[in-house]
Amino acid sequence: MAGDPVSLLPHGLSFRFVDRVLEIVPGERVIALKNVTANDPHLQGHFPGNPVMPGVLLVESMAQTAGLLLPEGSSAVLAQIKEARLRTPVIPGDQIRIEAVRRGGLGDLHRFEVAALVKGTPVAEAEIVLAVVGPNAEGRP
Amino acid sequence: MNEIAQRVRTLLSTRLKLATAVEGINDDTPLFGPTGLGLDSIDALELVLGLEKEFGVVVEDRVTAVKVLASIRTIAEHIQSQGKG
Repeated sequence: MAGDPVSLLPHGLSFRFVDRVLEIVPGERVIALKNVTANDPHLQGHFPGNPVMPGVLLVESMAQTAGLLLPEGSSAVLAQIKEARLRTPVIPGDQIRIEAVRRGGLGDLHRFEVAALVKGTPVAEAEIVLAVVGPNAEGRP
Repeated sequence: MNEIAQRVRTLLSTRLKLATAVEGINDDTPLFGPTGLGLDSIDALELVLGLEKEFGVVVEDRVTAVKVLASIRTIAEHIQSQGKG
């Protein structure tokens, strides 16, 4: 694969919650990995002595994975999170496999179905809508 | 046509969280904007996906969506013009 798709995400390193792309069919579907380690700064306080990946950050990693399917150079923000389920706490040592599939869109809005698994077991799922913002956006309807 | 409009009305009530009872929505009530139901762009996406699923009609882009999704009547007319419903 020429270049690492993760490096195309607009997020800075301090707010990047995807480590590696396993497979990608541009604009259609992607599978990515996120390794959870005890060194993650957000786990220091969540919770001291009992590190658990915050659910909102798990959703963020799912949204960033979905964002890999947007046209290159796009920045996008969350517009809708539907049917989100956080089934099992994710802890240091877990490797999260995140699978996102694009399910249509309209203008700047793109809808995805996203699932997160650890060792083959679903830990989270959600329908996520991302809105492209900034120079690549079409504008408001 | 009336039957298609009724199915569109059902689609609105099942896919969107409307503040108004769907029976009270006229065929010509604007779906967007302050004078109508005040739907937003996320509702529009929801409707476009619903129309594709329920009627097999495709709304390609935003410009088409603005025209097609104006009211229950315009949606029903679009479905009919595509030979669907």
